[in-house]
Amino acid sequence: MATTFHLQIVTPDKPVFDGQAEKIILRTITGDACILAKHIDYAAPLGIGEARVTDESGNTRTAACNGGLVSVADGEVRVIATTFEWEDEIDLERAKRSQADAEEKLRLLNPQDVNYAVLEAKLKRALLRIKVSE
Amino acid sequence: MAGTSMKDIKLRIKSVESTMQITKAMQLVATSKLRRAKERMEMSRPYADIAQQAVYTASLSCDDPSIAYLQKQPEKKACYIIIAGERGLAGGYNNNLFKAHLAHAEGKEYCVLPIGRKAIEKYHRLNVPVLSDEYAAVEGLSVSRCYLISNMLLEKFHAGEFGDLYLVYTSFKSMMSQEVDIRQLLPVVPEEGAKKEKPVSTVYDPGAKEVLETVMPDYLAGTLYSALCNSFLSEVASRRSAMDSATKNAGEMINDLKLRFNRARQGAITQEITEIVAGAEQ
Repeated sequence: MATTFHLQIVTPDKPVFDGQAEKIILRTITGDACILAKHIDYAAPLGIGEARVTDESGNTRTAACNGGLVSVADGEVRVIATTFEWEDEIDLERAKRSQADAEEKLRLLNPQDVNYAVLEAKLKRALLRIKVSE
Repeated sequence: MAGTSMKDIKLRIKSVESTMQITKAMQLVATSKLRRAKERMEMSRPYADIAQQAVYTASLSCDDPSIAYLQKQPEKKACYIIIAGERGLAGGYNNNLFKAHLAHAEGKEYCVLPIGRKAIEKYHRLNVPVLSDEYAAVEGLSVSRCYLISNMLLEKFHAGEFGDLYLVYTSFKSMMSQEVDIRQLLPVVPEEGAKKEKPVSTVYDPGAKEVLETVMPDYLAGTLYSALCNSFLSEVASRRSAMDSATKNAGEMINDLKLRFNRARQGAITQEITEIVAGAEQ
């Protein structure tokens, strides 16, 4: 059995995961990062991307993770995410609606507009949720 | 007969009874809200704690003077986020908070971001500059609204509108005790007793500055959300105990009035008998 580490995943409204894990793969702003046990102390901001968590019994779950920070300190891994939804918790209908809404608005907007980046992020989140849940 | 007629006492009893019904109903509403509020508060705590720790650690590794979040700017005015209640009738909940804040802010030049209808009314009355008065509701404030507030505040902070940011809220200790807490959010100053030495071996990707800057809005929003949950829970708990004692007082008052009513009735009967007897004797 692989060595495990203590992983905590929290979002502002509730803790999502608190337990032993074997591996976690996250999308940071500079690229994907995989964290195993005995990782060096580390901190990186998170982008919008898929997260994969392998728990102590070897099951891997996928989640849509958006924004925040991952930190490793003294072997404790903490993910502070803005949103973190497991694949089976995603509201696909809502994601599709939000994708359509964002695409619609982006078409009408000039790329120089201040809201363009905001809408683009919204679209990215929607696409990620759709991808993870399908 | 102590100057009051039976009719007057009867009316008093009726009015106290209807007040008691109201306080009783408010107590029941508060009790039913309490459980959900407590759950929400407990759910919000881990994020706030961990985010705070992450910000403190990152701030210790940054000695870059270009990071505004770490700079003391005493020449600029302060900004207070004040989380009070939506309604009164919660004992000293709102007043204690305002008192603590005004004592803390004495002699400073400051603006406020009031959250909760009572806070908005209070600071408008005091003629303090108010950043926004659209946050009248505390109960339904969601995480995404907290992000909006956090981004708005950071924007104003970067624009130089204020140098210090404080959060004034009521922290829930137990059902019986809630304490007003004033926390400094900006500039980032690790709390007393926290580890002061610089963590040596942490790898920041891409750099400590970027980490600190990206985590800041999350930290503010998370702290704000958790403070809101704490405050709302405190408000409900404090209203429940206030209404509980009000109901008890009303009950005592009714007992007292009933006693007086019976005494008055007895007095009236005695008087009538005396009159009849006196009439018969003549």
